[in-house]
Amino acid sequence: FPPEYSFPPFFTRQTNLTTHHAQLIKWSSLVLAYCRHHRLVKLSLSGNPTTTTSNSTTDKKEQDSPHPRDTTELFHNRRLNRQLSLPDIREVISFLRGQGRAEYIDSSSSSTSGGGGGGEEDEAGGGGGDMVWIYWRTPEEWAGLVEGWVEGTGQKGSVLTVYELLEGDGTRGAEFHGLDQELLRKALNVLVKRGKAQIFGQEDSLGVKFF
Amino acid sequence: MSRKGVGLAAFDRSRLTSAQYASHGSTLRSSNAQALETQLAVFRSLLQQFAQTHAKDIRSNPTFRAQFARMCAAIGVDPLASSGSNHQSNSGGGGVGSIWAQLLGRSVNDFYFELAVRVVEVCGETRGENGGLIELRKVRERIMRGRMEGASEITEDDILRAVGTLKPLGSAYSIIKVGSKPYIRSVPKELNTDQSAVLEAAQVLGYVSVSMLMVNLSWMRPRAQTALEDLVGEGMLWVDKQSQEWEYWSPGFMLEYQDSAAGMTG
Repeated sequence: FPPEYSFPPFFTRQTNLTTHHAQLIKWSSLVLAYCRHHRLVKLSLSGNPTTTTSNSTTDKKEQDSPHPRDTTELFHNRRLNRQLSLPDIREVISFLRGQGRAEYIDSSSSSTSGGGGGGEEDEAGGGGGDMVWIYWRTPEEWAGLVEGWVEGTGQKGSVLTVYELLEGDGTRGAEFHGLDQELLRKALNVLVKRGKAQIFGQEDSLGVKFF
Repeated sequence: MSRKGVGLAAFDRSRLTSAQYASHGSTLRSSNAQALETQLAVFRSLLQQFAQTHAKDIRSNPTFRAQFARMCAAIGVDPLASSGSNHQSNSGGGGVGSIWAQLLGRSVNDFYFELAVRVVEVCGETRGENGGLIELRKVRERIMRGRMEGASEITEDDILRAVGTLKPLGSAYSIIKVGSKPYIRSVPKELNTDQSAVLEAAQVLGYVSVSMLMVNLSWMRPRAQTALEDLVGEGMLWVDKQSQEWEYWSPGFMLEYQDSAAGMTG
């Protein structure tokens, strides 16, 4: 954890505008770094255990089996006995949404496009749920990685199942191996929009063709 | 010369003699000047050699740098003066001074100029979190951390001189003391005595509260509250509302933990 995590006022919403802005920047960096480190793509704002996406190259525990992680430590420093309140957490999320790095999940009016940030819902009550996507890599960035892998392995024109992409031996070294399936879908949708891929088949066994 | 009569002749002779002396004197002077000229030429070339060999040392060795600066001060030369300053017309000191500044000034100048730029960058980066007041020690640490090549060491003295070079630009950068510690101030806001006292008190534990100020400084509550609110308003203190009594923290302590942090770095 970075030094500000041990700074008690970090968990209090600062009254000075400039200080608050600096605080938001630090919090959003911390959230992204934490999620990137633990390979979390979703976060529960109340700290409910979230499954991590395992990647055989980084995960030391059982490979290919996601396990839930208690993320309360992110917003709650037990040693200091300080925690960021839920409204303040939502402010951080709002800030991340503005950067296109977060998105509420399952809210009635959430935008489904990959990179779209806040705007339609600014207040905490609006689009607020408990679960958020944390895009330490946006769907566009994941799409870029998939595209790079496709080109690098000469898979243009070939057809793969989504399962193969996620869990197949062929993608073992790739960053997106073991990624959350929903997120991969978002990434693939980006490629579809760009005309670089086509998705077909039934929900249980989707296939992708790359161009 | 033919000898004339004693009277007029003597007068003439003395005039002649003094003219002789004068001319002789000027001959002497010109030969002396010639010698001086030669001496200076020799000195100049030695200086040039010195500049070439030691310019690197000036950059890399902080002790040498400090000694060099002291030596320049002793002979009345400002090594940071911009070259091409020919307004000094007196020979000897002024001439040597401008040569010195010309030969060595440039590399020394560059060093301090680059350092001043780094100082300005660090102050700009941290202004949001500290309101434009940052401990000199922290600035040095951040600059040293940014130098990946394991490059030359920068001392606090160097930073002080670098900040000094910013003065003629009419900027807000200045060195102030909070208690015994030097800080760099990069905003025009000047602290009054109460505010300085609060910041000084905050150095002890990293924070102060209203009651701490009332007890330790014998202040009345409104006075303490005003000073604290002023400082928060300037962005120079962060507030912790989750403690029994609100605690006002010095942002310098955020970096403090980095030096002793045992956890993983973000």
